[in-house]
Amino acid sequence: MFRYIVKRLGQTLLVLFCVSVFSFFLIRMAPGNPAVMMLPDGASEEAIQEMEVRLGLDQPLYVQYFKYITGVLKGDLGTSTAYRTDVAQIIAQRLPNTLALTAVTVVAGCLFAIPLGIIAGSHKGTAVDFFTMLFALLGQSMSPVWLAVLNVFVFGVWLGWLSTMGTGSVAHYVLPVATLAYPMAAQIARIGRSGMIDTLQEDYITATYAKGIRRFTVNWKYAFKNALVPIVTLVGMQTGAFIAGTIIVETVFSWPGIGQLLNLSVGNRDYALVQSVLLVSAAFFAVINLIVDIINSLIDPRINLR
Amino acid sequence: MGKDVLRKRMQSSPFFVVGLSVAFVIVVSVIFLPFFTGYSPTANSLTSTFQKPDWLSHGLSGHILGTDELGRDIFTRLLYGGRYSLFIAAVVVLLQVFLGTSPGILAGYFGGILDTIVMRLCDIVLAIPNLILAIAIMAVVGVNMTNLIFVLTFAGWVDCCKVTRNNVLVIKNREFVHASVVLGASHGHIMFTQILPNVTTHIIILASQRFGFTILLEAALSFLNLGIQPPVPSWGNMIAGGRSFMTIYPWLVFAPGIALMLCVLAFNFLGDGLRDVLDPKRN
Repeated sequence: MFRYIVKRLGQTLLVLFCVSVFSFFLIRMAPGNPAVMMLPDGASEEAIQEMEVRLGLDQPLYVQYFKYITGVLKGDLGTSTAYRTDVAQIIAQRLPNTLALTAVTVVAGCLFAIPLGIIAGSHKGTAVDFFTMLFALLGQSMSPVWLAVLNVFVFGVWLGWLSTMGTGSVAHYVLPVATLAYPMAAQIARIGRSGMIDTLQEDYITATYAKGIRRFTVNWKYAFKNALVPIVTLVGMQTGAFIAGTIIVETVFSWPGIGQLLNLSVGNRDYALVQSVLLVSAAFFAVINLIVDIINSLIDPRINLR
Repeated sequence: MGKDVLRKRMQSSPFFVVGLSVAFVIVVSVIFLPFFTGYSPTANSLTSTFQKPDWLSHGLSGHILGTDELGRDIFTRLLYGGRYSLFIAAVVVLLQVFLGTSPGILAGYFGGILDTIVMRLCDIVLAIPNLILAIAIMAVVGVNMTNLIFVLTFAGWVDCCKVTRNNVLVIKNREFVHASVVLGASHGHIMFTQILPNVTTHIIILASQRFGFTILLEAALSFLNLGIQPPVPSWGNMIAGGRSFMTIYPWLVFAPGIALMLCVLAFNFLGDGLRDVLDPKRN
């Protein structure tokens, strides 16, 4: 167990290192001189050179990377050209909004979809199963763009029940969460169903039936635990990718989080911010995947041996 | 697997039949219908803005789905937008299959250090969520059609690579491969004429599933103004453009939204159906 965690931790760090190199060089490829962007229009040649020295742009790339990465490790993500303040500060301000949205979405999606998937899988071929599959396929085909705009129209404009802009009250959560949770719930229900179908074919399940244990107990006590492994992996991946998921939703619902920030920064050509959002989202993704693997190895001890 | 078995399976899979029919209708419409509607997808006509849909009362020459804020025919724009979406998705998926399968076969077949390098490379690409990766690259390299195809391909070749590699790992230990080695076949011959045909089923299934996903990703990028640029129509940027007029003329958003949903649904049904039809494990 311990060795497995250390190995996965090592892999995670390696991947994060590579991501940081990738994002560093990606931003260096961006058009425009950052020194010029920091200065007012029509700055003199000397002022630009002075700024380049101040930003360290005159040094070789590996030195620049080394400076950048030591800064990142100390929590210094650079300066935003559009907001003219610390990138780390801007991200820290907006991250809680995105995290809150994600947490509510994940909980709502799981509470709805896991039981649905398990029931569908243990009643394969029935009407419940058919409608679950239909629900899942529809959800996977639903573009977040279309779903978000449709929700705004139906509940905001047409019925006028819910607010479609900004954050603040519980009611503000309903539409963004519904938009984010539907495609997620669709996938969970689907994975839960197929996991359950596979598990119910295992010999140990037949053995529990042979012992005369009730079907309900078999499903929810013995089979559920094994069907949970792929579900945990999927939920983890979706949670880890939350910043990506929220870009569209935050933009449509004017939710002041990281996703909206990324979209705005791209428009502002604010590369330091884009780079940091890339790095932060990769770090979250890696850490959550690590946690997921550890949880899974606790649920299913066979995983350690692989 | 014989042709009779395939035909029988196709007929018994409702998802496959429905998906294939709808996808066929969509593909044929976006390719051929623009020749008959008689409107330009980009030319403005400020005397005829926000016209109500004529439906089919004037045949193909009327504004079947009405006009938008600049007087452009929505139905025509929908068809051209579909052309771009489907064309891009097709090119992207083909590139992904090619770029993913080749390293996948090599990594799975030779194993060792090559395998480690390829797999770690996949991990790095997988470590950044698709949409964020696409947005970041698009922001840096600039927005145009070639870059869009490059970005979408780059975000998705990994799945193909991993699936191929995992399948090759299993197949390379089968007896017929050992037999080829004993008979003195070259590595290239074994990889591409012995192993490759055995992984194609999985690749076809994966490719059909990636198709719908690529359309969704392209729509998201176009919605964020990082994909296909107005005035060239795409379903994503039509939804974005129509948002401002949603309260007075919701049809502007509904037409591309419904088209997007139907199209992706059809291809996802097709992908799921294909898995049922082609699954080698099924009897």
